[in-house]
Amino acid sequence: MDMGETEERLHRFLKEKVIEFKVPRERRIFVRIKKESFREVVEYLVNTLAFRHLSTITGVDLGKEIELLYHLAHNGAIELSLGLSIPKDNTCISTITDLIPGAVLYEREVHDLFGVKFEGHPDLSPLLLPEGWPQGVYPLRKEHSLDELRELMSKKWG
Amino acid sequence: MIEFLLQVLIFPGIAFLFALAFFYEWIDRKFFAKVQNRYGPLYTGFSGLLQPVADFIKLLSKEDIAPMACDRILFFSMPILYLILPLMALLIIPISSQTSLIAFDGDLIFMMFIFTLITVTVFLAGWSSVNRFSIIGSVRAAIQMIGYEIPMGLAMIGPAIAAKSLSISNIAQWQSSNISWGIWLQPIGFAVFVICMLAELEFIPFDIPEADTEIVAGWRTEFSGRKLALFRLGRDLEIVLASALITALYLGGAQQLGFVPPVVIFLIKTVLLLLLFSFLRALFARLRMDQVVSGMWKYLLPMAILQIILIQFGVGV
Amino acid sequence: MGYASTIKVPFGPQHPAFKEPEYFLFEVEGDLVVNVTPRIGYAHKGIEKAFEQRNYNENIYLAERICGICSHAHATCYTQAIEEMLGIQIPPRARYIRTIIAELERLHSHSLWVGIAAHEVGYDTLFMYTWRDREVVMELLEALTGGRVTHAMNTIGGVRRDISADIIPKVKSGLDYFEKRTKEYLGILKTEPTFLKRTEGVGILKPEDAVGLCAVGPTLRASGIKNDVRADDPYAAYDEVPFNVVTLDGCDVLSRTLARGEEMLESIGIIRNALDHMPTGELRVRVPKVVPPAEVFSRVEAPRGELIHYAKSNGTAKPERYKVRSPTLANIPALCKTLLGVHLADIPIILAGIDPCFACMDRMVFVDTKANKKWDLTMDQLKQGVNK
Repeated sequence: MDMGETEERLHRFLKEKVIEFKVPRERRIFVRIKKESFREVVEYLVNTLAFRHLSTITGVDLGKEIELLYHLAHNGAIELSLGLSIPKDNTCISTITDLIPGAVLYEREVHDLFGVKFEGHPDLSPLLLPEGWPQGVYPLRKEHSLDELRELMSKKWG
Repeated sequence: MIEFLLQVLIFPGIAFLFALAFFYEWIDRKFFAKVQNRYGPLYTGFSGLLQPVADFIKLLSKEDIAPMACDRILFFSMPILYLILPLMALLIIPISSQTSLIAFDGDLIFMMFIFTLITVTVFLAGWSSVNRFSIIGSVRAAIQMIGYEIPMGLAMIGPAIAAKSLSISNIAQWQSSNISWGIWLQPIGFAVFVICMLAELEFIPFDIPEADTEIVAGWRTEFSGRKLALFRLGRDLEIVLASALITALYLGGAQQLGFVPPVVIFLIKTVLLLLLFSFLRALFARLRMDQVVSGMWKYLLPMAILQIILIQFGVGV
Repeated sequence: MGYASTIKVPFGPQHPAFKEPEYFLFEVEGDLVVNVTPRIGYAHKGIEKAFEQRNYNENIYLAERICGICSHAHATCYTQAIEEMLGIQIPPRARYIRTIIAELERLHSHSLWVGIAAHEVGYDTLFMYTWRDREVVMELLEALTGGRVTHAMNTIGGVRRDISADIIPKVKSGLDYFEKRTKEYLGILKTEPTFLKRTEGVGILKPEDAVGLCAVGPTLRASGIKNDVRADDPYAAYDEVPFNVVTLDGCDVLSRTLARGEEMLESIGIIRNALDHMPTGELRVRVPKVVPPAEVFSRVEAPRGELIHYAKSNGTAKPERYKVRSPTLANIPALCKTLLGVHLADIPIILAGIDPCFACMDRMVFVDTKANKKWDLTMDQLKQGVNK
């Protein structure tokens, strides 16, 4: 399945679910969808279009919302970045570990650093942050500056 | 009496054996390094000769920590026992003459007993450390012994049957008076015995009780300072013991060849064996526990039995 | 039910089997592992947040230092991302030079790994020999770039140094020697019985697990899946230089070892080809001063597998968001799967089998207190020094 065919099938499936559809160069597609259609789109991508390899999940702090980007690869060649925004006051989203078991650690990482809860994840314990890290402080969010985090650490661990 | 005491204490007794232990450690480390294209010990003394002594003295001066939960009696006494046992065993092997310092009929069986005791010492040393790595290491050492003890015993009995004596000195003398060494009379027994000695000394491929990439230092993990120094010296003495025993049983022991004194012959033969051990150590990767035990019971034991059967049929006597 | 039948054996954070700190808690029944819990983050340096504080030029140096052994891979991935955002194409000569350095890095990384793998199974002799011959590659890298480990070859718009014609014979003779030695070591690895006993059939990762758990790199290719970013999603000069993607079907640690060995031979071929066909021309192009708002997804095949940088710019001098996902993190779920049901003695070699590079893996935001401390002290000292 090459780029042209992928784009066509995606367009046909997504229709009104899509917010943005960019193809900046060959083998790269950026799609942004509404949060409600997330599960449906991921299932279509993984099961029907065979985008089985999840490269990683990126979190981006957009101010009032957190954007999650799921980077999926088809046959190792075409990279599709699926983006959706979730509001910061309700950071819950369904997990995709039932579709792609390899997503376990990426979801834990985003949970640690951005505070996003993945419903249905088998084990959301901290992955990168040390024991004793204060609850509710998510380091990669823009509201925490570097100096603030440094102060926090020096107070806690000297 | 005085002469006997002097012999026991100095030559060919304790002092000589300690010096020999350090010397053999140096040979082992140097040869092992050369095979690996490295230098080995280089600076202390001529070409690093004094390195083992330096290491020993350094360890003696280091802090000696004992874990609080350890069994104090065992923890403190096992290093000493580990040092004394090979020393005792070496007194019954002929070193500087055709007869050893202490020779009696049946000292071969005594030797087997000492080997078992050494492994028990290792086991108790790890067990009393109360550290999960030490426990795993000591259990592995015990399991390994289950593999090699019987073939080792059979390989030791082979020359005894040929020489019709259970005294190591007699076996050595028999070989020189018969002008035939055990090694070409009973080559299978020799091979089995070398492999068992590798396992006893915990040399690669049998150093699973001490595998440093898996269980830190195995049964030796918690020992430091003086106790570790005693363990290392004990291990060096074990190397001397292993080479000396194989020399006595299979290589003709300390003979008098022409005008060359027996002790020199003894040294030459044991050093050759040591080089063989070092070489084998450098050649192989470490085997896993289940592979060691199954290999020993499947291959080593039948070979040892085969040798005994051959002897009964008159081959190698 | 008084006794616990399983012993919990901790591996790490300090352990002789590990070159970097990580923590694995194994539950062992007898000699077999029944459960493994990884805990990573010990080498976490806060790099992703640090990227946002520096401008694009400074970030080249930060990207290089994410990891020592894959430094050029990170630098290439970074410069590629920024170049794509700027919409510029780097000159062909620069692409070839990037390829050559990347393949030399792959050589030194894989040969380091073969030595480590040998050491993990107690085969120290091979460890000494492979590391001795690895020095040839390190000296070549030093001759070409000035550094054995961090090369500082890349800049946004091309490369900084040229490969002059008089150094090429030296490179080629070094490669000839290295190729001869590598072939010999591969021969030893395939036939040495004790090594085979420790690695054949050990740490099986079935192909469907490898795909489902999103493994990358030689770990994936040793399970029969033919995925390699250099072939599937070419970058630098990989679309012009021919090479084979090494895939093996064994799915065990031995296959991973042999896969890396064969990849080394392929790399030597790539370097020779690139040196012979290197186009002439300039080394770098002029770069616009401002990076327009854009987002870019950059992929590179590091020695350990697929390396990913995601960059988002907002038109200012500093990136808005920079995400790095290094290959070791992708292999951890697969690693945990291969560790179940194995002997305790097999743990180090299986752990080593994915070629872990925890410095790369942990780099996200903030954790290493020690690094923090040093930084604070330096700032304080600076402040004190200024106020005197």
